[in-house]
Amino acid sequence: MNEKTQKRHIGLKASQNISNIIVYVILTVMAVIWLIPFICIVLQSFRVENTWPVGYVAPKTWGFDNYIALWNSDFKRWYANTFIIALIVAVIQTIIVLCMSYTLSRFRFKSRAGLMRLMLILGMFPGMLSMIILYRVLKDLGLTQANAVPGLILVYVASSGMGYYVSKGFFDTLPKSLDEAARIDGATRAQVLTKIILPLAKPIVIYTILTAFMGPWGDFVFARYISFGTSSGMNVAVGMWNWLTPDMINQRYTMFCAGGVIVAIPVALLFMFLQKYYVEGVTGGAVKG
Amino acid sequence: MKSMKKILALLLAAVMVFSLAACGGGGTTPSADSGSSSAQTTKAPEGGDQTTKAPEGGSSELAGTYDVTVWCADNIVDLTKKQIEAFNNSNTDGIKINATVENVGEGDAATQMITDVEAGGDLFCFAQDQFARLVQANALSKLGAKAAEFVKNGNDEGAVNAATMSGDIYAYPLTADNTYFMYYDKSVVSDDIAGNLNDVIAACEKAKKYLAFDVGNAWYLASFFFGAGCKSEWSTDKDGHWNVNDDFNSEKGLVAMQGLHDIQSSPMFLSKSGASEFDSNAAVVVSGTWDSGTASAILGDNLGVAALPKYTVDGKDYDLVSFMGYKLLGVKPQTDSVKAAVLHRLAQYLTGKDAQLERHAAVGWGPSNKEAQADDAVAKDPVLNAVVKQAQKSVVQGQVNDGWWNLAAALSAAAKDTDKKEDYQAALDTYVAGLEHLKNLKEGLLFVGAWNGWDNADESDTYILQDDGDNKTVTLDVPESDYMGGRIVNIGSWENDKGFAQVKEGADLLNADAAGDDNNIVFLEPGNYTVTINGSNEITVKKN
Repeated sequence: MNEKTQKRHIGLKASQNISNIIVYVILTVMAVIWLIPFICIVLQSFRVENTWPVGYVAPKTWGFDNYIALWNSDFKRWYANTFIIALIVAVIQTIIVLCMSYTLSRFRFKSRAGLMRLMLILGMFPGMLSMIILYRVLKDLGLTQANAVPGLILVYVASSGMGYYVSKGFFDTLPKSLDEAARIDGATRAQVLTKIILPLAKPIVIYTILTAFMGPWGDFVFARYISFGTSSGMNVAVGMWNWLTPDMINQRYTMFCAGGVIVAIPVALLFMFLQKYYVEGVTGGAVKG
Repeated sequence: MKSMKKILALLLAAVMVFSLAACGGGGTTPSADSGSSSAQTTKAPEGGDQTTKAPEGGSSELAGTYDVTVWCADNIVDLTKKQIEAFNNSNTDGIKINATVENVGEGDAATQMITDVEAGGDLFCFAQDQFARLVQANALSKLGAKAAEFVKNGNDEGAVNAATMSGDIYAYPLTADNTYFMYYDKSVVSDDIAGNLNDVIAACEKAKKYLAFDVGNAWYLASFFFGAGCKSEWSTDKDGHWNVNDDFNSEKGLVAMQGLHDIQSSPMFLSKSGASEFDSNAAVVVSGTWDSGTASAILGDNLGVAALPKYTVDGKDYDLVSFMGYKLLGVKPQTDSVKAAVLHRLAQYLTGKDAQLERHAAVGWGPSNKEAQADDAVAKDPVLNAVVKQAQKSVVQGQVNDGWWNLAAALSAAAKDTDKKEDYQAALDTYVAGLEHLKNLKEGLLFVGAWNGWDNADESDTYILQDDGDNKTVTLDVPESDYMGGRIVNIGSWENDKGFAQVKEGADLLNADAAGDDNNIVFLEPGNYTVTINGSNEITVKKN
């Protein structure tokens, strides 16, 4: 009996090793598959011997021509538009979402449950439904075409309060006794939020900022509709999409890749930079008995 | 509580500031017609007739500065800016055009224009197949008698026909080159075998190089059918209902299917287009003028250009007959007749002989202007020579029902899998059934929306209504995946409610938007439904 269990014990370790090896092989293969398109795009963006899609990956001649061409095109305008939109939306939306979540998590007021239910139902409608109406409204306000940037900010920010679910769920897990202690010490509600809750909820704040930034950064459908054929109001996604016509693809393909690389940079930086806080936030904070 | 309110108030204020600031910044700036107050009262009957010559002073009733938006393809944006600058300097009427040239491709122009004509470009380039849609959407202003003369006298016959609808001309021809022909690598395919598809395939197989011919796309695929003697001519009546004269389902169609099978069964066949394939081991690419620059950059002196070869079925040769299309320049209808007259002047300048030659020199577009076609630079262009030869074996691409492209494209896959006549016949039968379906759209109901992934009408689900006198009914299945939402609309009018009263009654109707415009939007849970429209166009949705 004893011998048997010992044997089995060794077998377990070996089988753990084997399963680890298998898992790592699978993960490595998946990682490679996952990364290949990105590597291709980066390599293609430095290819200068011609500008059309080719059947090989590594450039024959390297250079920065594509990036220089981007700088001389409308791309920098589109990039600035996208960046301004994403930045402003990230700030406003984060504030709205956090306030909203805090309110719904900590306050008890008359129509709270009704409000939450209403927002749940409203959230079920695809946003695209309202696209045509939104376009008309924004057009009447003069916020389309060349003025698409403020128009788009308005669109993205307008409904942001409804995205409170995740952060409200997180706030619910923070003990109420913290609030109460702070209130007894004389903190206002706003101070409770900014001084007590938010430092404890760093991961969720980071998460909110990231999603708020990413939404407008990659948007195409609304942005295309609202910029409506006006280059100065386009974001990168819409502007670069116009390069993909059969007439233009051969002149723009490598530029398109370079554009893709530049678009990816701030997002990658954002994630790398905020990851630190992400981890910090998870481990920080506790109630003292 | 109080501070929250303050924050809220602050946010609201911020939002207000944003919208207000934007309002002040732009909006609609009326064009400043400086020094032409009298011009306002002069009404031109129709666009383009106001060609009053200026007196010596260099100003006429058209004098003034005009804000004009021009939509054209990316590769001619800079050239168009230059040409407008030249127009400003050369015209003797004191017209100054303050132009914004935007990159809106010819393929996309109609979709954009029809979405919001008011916000669209004043002048816009578009491909000929969108012509009928644009006329129906009132996005094109009719040319006056003098402007029509200008078009008729200047351009070749096909181009004039392309811009004509029921006897009236609505646009200015820009190019006559929208077709496809064969680019080939002379080191693989010699000039003397370029006229026969079998020889071309054999040469490609021998050299282990690809033959790229995108027969998976109906635009290219149709060449086999037209070559075999088939026709497919779509037309719409005044109500926008489609009709088609199509004989793909015939003995000739079977020949085309066999031809499609033969080319696709070659191991070196590649269903792609685009001259960049020459860089990926292709020796032959079937494509259009837009690829000439790329093709000659890759192949250099080895580049050969020719009309499409003949294909052989049962020992008989058939031509490959391509679609031929034109690019046109349209003028949007204007409320200000003076501006309209100026726009027509500008359009005539931009489609005139010199402008077309400049475009040929810069991007290789084939002119539609007869004098420009006779110009040395154009007549000696090998690519345009191929276009001219191909044009002799081509059919003009008129208006085509959007659904046809997918329907016809399916034939190439059907031909690839089999070499049995009865299978070809089955595929053609399916095709004809699809045609009937497309034609019958006038009797149907269209469900546009999540039923088909919010895509456009190409793939929208269509249901034919059963008419029992009083009510029209249709049963439909909403798939199990998710609950679905979308619009119920009449055929040919799928943007707004178009005469349908609000959807009022319905089991499991999750929502019918009560606010006017979108009253034809419904959300349904998965299941089987009967949709009824009564005599007063009221829709009822009932779950079965």
